[in-house]
Amino acid sequence: MSTSHDHPHDHPEGDSHEPIGTDGKPGYYDVMETAVRELFIEHGLLRAAEIRRQIEVLDSRTPALGAQVVAKAWTDSGFKARLLEDGRSACEELGITFYDDTLLIVLENTDRVHNLIVCTLCSCYPRPVLGLPPDWYKLKPYRARAVTEPRKVLEEFGTFIHDDVEIRVSDSTATVRFLVLPQRPRGTEDWSDAQLAGLVTRDSMIGVAFARSPAEEVA
Amino acid sequence: MKGSEALLKRLPNDIGGLPADRIEQVDHVLEPWEKRCHALADVLDFHKIISTEEKRRGVESLGAEIIGKLSYYERWIAAFANIAFQKGILTPTELAERMREVERRFEPSPGESHATPGRSS
Repeated sequence: MSTSHDHPHDHPEGDSHEPIGTDGKPGYYDVMETAVRELFIEHGLLRAAEIRRQIEVLDSRTPALGAQVVAKAWTDSGFKARLLEDGRSACEELGITFYDDTLLIVLENTDRVHNLIVCTLCSCYPRPVLGLPPDWYKLKPYRARAVTEPRKVLEEFGTFIHDDVEIRVSDSTATVRFLVLPQRPRGTEDWSDAQLAGLVTRDSMIGVAFARSPAEEVA
Repeated sequence: MKGSEALLKRLPNDIGGLPADRIEQVDHVLEPWEKRCHALADVLDFHKIISTEEKRRGVESLGAEIIGKLSYYERWIAAFANIAFQKGILTPTELAERMREVERRFEPSPGESHATPGRSS
């Protein structure tokens, strides 16, 4: 959940202003986090073990999970149909649990349509399958511009979409999250799921890039 | 138009479609406290003590100046504290006292010459 950043000295989102200093003392917000967490625990609202467990869950979620989902969809048409029908339950088939109560809508890129995901209000993102979003996804330039000039935004990522391809931008919410199913690169017909997954980048599942080509893989 | 209408028409989070700078592909590895803050947010949402949408509104209600000056997780923890006060879960005094106590854990105890106590002590 991020917010606007209108002040002139835009700093990288999530940049921790006050990390533990050289004197070993935690910063103000670090102290506040410890205090708030301890008080919630002492009031019996949550348990320390739940926080520790959730940190482990967060650490276990990376774009490699999403890449596995995409590769499976490229090689298994039945799975792909189920994935497009209900993203969450198809991911759960692969053992990817959803630790929150979000819906997942998977958007398929084709020769005619290129999809891009954003969260204009904050930083909603398909965390169970991609992990935490990069800072640029949470910052004003991407959030403000993706919905009105997606073609230009994509060009800034080095991604050029033909004029005859429609660009669809999907704006995420607290409960509805999106994942882009990129197009399968040419020249990968006999590739295994594991090989294909190696071509699927985080950015291709946000929609700001294509899946890597076999040539890039060799390079 | 005096200009103040714009403040009502768009709350601080509502920036879709506004003019903005070129995209810089920045990222950073979370500080340990930032990761704990994220995990805290998730657990608070699981139990519906503070839901994701409540947190988003809590950040928005910090106002444009605070939003502009605090980093992402600084805004989150500030919003959690405010929401907990509003819900009567915590009091401002209780939080202030606990923060002082947490700070004291990192101060050298009297007579101790080396000044770097461990966090888990």
